[in-house]
Amino acid sequence: MSEKIAVQIDDLTVAYNYKPVLWDIDLAIPEGVLMAIVGPNGAGKSTLIKSILDIIKPIAGSIQIYGKPYKKQRSLVAYVPQKGSVDWDFPTTALDVVMMGTYGSLGWIKRPGRKQKKAALEALEKVGMLAFKSRQISQLSGGQQQRIFLARALVQNASIYFMDEPFQGVDATTEKAIINILKELRKAGKTVIVVHHDLQTVPEYFDWVTFLNVKKIATGPVKDIFNDDNLTKTYGINYKVSVQQ
Amino acid sequence: MSNAQIEIQLIASLVAIACAIPGTFLVLRKMALITDAISHSILPGIVVGFFITHDLSSPLLIIMAAASGVLTVVLVEFIQKTGLVKEDTAIGLVFPALFSIGIILIAQNANDVHLDVDAVLLGELAFAPFDRFMISGIDMGPKSLWIIGSILIITLGLLFAFFKELKVSTFDAGLASALGLSPVIMHYGLMTVSSITTVGAFDAVGAILVIALMIAPAATAYLLTNDLKKMLLLAVTFGVGSAISGYWMAHALDTSISGSMTTVLGIVFLIVYLFAPNKGLFSVLYRQRQQRIEVSLLTFLLHLGNHKEEEERHVKHLNEHINWQKVQSKSVLDLALKNNMISINNDIVSLTKKGKKFTTEAIDYIVTNKNSEIENMKDRFFLFRG
Repeated sequence: MSEKIAVQIDDLTVAYNYKPVLWDIDLAIPEGVLMAIVGPNGAGKSTLIKSILDIIKPIAGSIQIYGKPYKKQRSLVAYVPQKGSVDWDFPTTALDVVMMGTYGSLGWIKRPGRKQKKAALEALEKVGMLAFKSRQISQLSGGQQQRIFLARALVQNASIYFMDEPFQGVDATTEKAIINILKELRKAGKTVIVVHHDLQTVPEYFDWVTFLNVKKIATGPVKDIFNDDNLTKTYGINYKVSVQQ
Repeated sequence: MSNAQIEIQLIASLVAIACAIPGTFLVLRKMALITDAISHSILPGIVVGFFITHDLSSPLLIIMAAASGVLTVVLVEFIQKTGLVKEDTAIGLVFPALFSIGIILIAQNANDVHLDVDAVLLGELAFAPFDRFMISGIDMGPKSLWIIGSILIITLGLLFAFFKELKVSTFDAGLASALGLSPVIMHYGLMTVSSITTVGAFDAVGAILVIALMIAPAATAYLLTNDLKKMLLLAVTFGVGSAISGYWMAHALDTSISGSMTTVLGIVFLIVYLFAPNKGLFSVLYRQRQQRIEVSLLTFLLHLGNHKEEEERHVKHLNEHINWQKVQSKSVLDLALKNNMISINNDIVSLTKKGKKFTTEAIDYIVTNKNSEIENMKDRFFLFRG
């Protein structure tokens, strides 16, 4: 892990209808970490990711990706939204959804060609979904849909990956497959940031963690800060989790 | 066919195409209701445009109408964002308000203005060929043909240029935004095109029945395909087909053209809704029945596999053991026999090799749920298609 900062957030406040959902967040995410964002429902985990990606406009604060605003660094960032955020009955195929990952580098008006298709097929292969490339997306299981989303992010060939609950509603096999790909990304020097719900698996899957509940509670290496004290501060009840190092 | 008849059908077809394209995206965005709102609330735009130009076919009318169409969408979203009412309520609040402003404006100035609410709302295709577009005395064809033709060319141009952007922002607005392909621009672009098309469809079907031309062909196409491009093509085909057959229906019955066109659209949708190969009502019912039979078959085979003792496998007592009615036991028994999954010796039922293999495969699937391994089975059994 280098000392470079991939994502720098200063004094970030986000509000819906003047009700703050994120309050004065300072956060520096080092390059090359596999980081979990944990916190109770309504803690602002998804909002934090969406603010970084400029999907939600904050009312105060600044966010920088490798020292520059997101708008200038789009090509460095890939995003996997929550599976439930799209309509899976949309008339399109698995391959086509993965191809959408290439739209950013193509820019306006230009259409995807052979090069983009090849990249999409490779990404499908990586997530073990090549056999399903022509399948209509509503005909895929929940785990397969999540893999398609992951392939769509992989095809962007980014430096930083943001994932909003990629393990929600997937079977154990898919969860293992996804985490293996995330660990490979980290090995290749990428930064991976995941909104995560299952506290039990945090020490096994991640090396960095941010505790969030409207305010930032703590951030740092899992082995240093993933403890009962921070869990209790975040979730507001006495938490006892056996942390295996 | 007379010249006028050809012109009428040509106008109707162009209107159908121009409507089907934005309609497809509106249906996919679950915004069908907003076309209803737009079709009403463009009225004040048209009226104001007419007051300025005193010419019903001035392009300014189209621009003003499009502006009030977009204003509708903005107002609906504004009210919705307050969180005090839901979207459908917001739509129901906005368009009657704008529409009534239009009505009052017309009524107040009715004496010196030749603007008829009926003409705006219902349209009359039969009169379209009479209003000619003349350039220095030369007849260039019906005016409405030129208007809808220009709108269609713009719509097609935008569709080809921004197909990718429209697709991604419709499917996943969050991703589109993160990629820098502004879903907001796409949203308002689509709303503007929908408003302009609605105005352009005046002569053909009027501002109200245009909803049918936007929504029905797209909804019909949606039931028949899983491919966006094919959906667009099918919607266009249904639109044009219904427009032309609607015209001849009106001709035969001597009735309203727009009314007939809309009726045909409704009938076509009903037929597809009932008989579509995968998503149609009968197809769904058939599939459910097949699934039920296959589950029964599997339960039956499992029972046979689990019991070595002969009294559990006697033909006469099977229904008691699995607690089924005689008819169901009989039909399942026949199905298993037909597929060589069981053999019957002295009224004792046994699994054949094939039956054993099928049962193991099916149980494996249900227990492990590993899709890649049972992929080849999906074509053989309804049960696994989810």
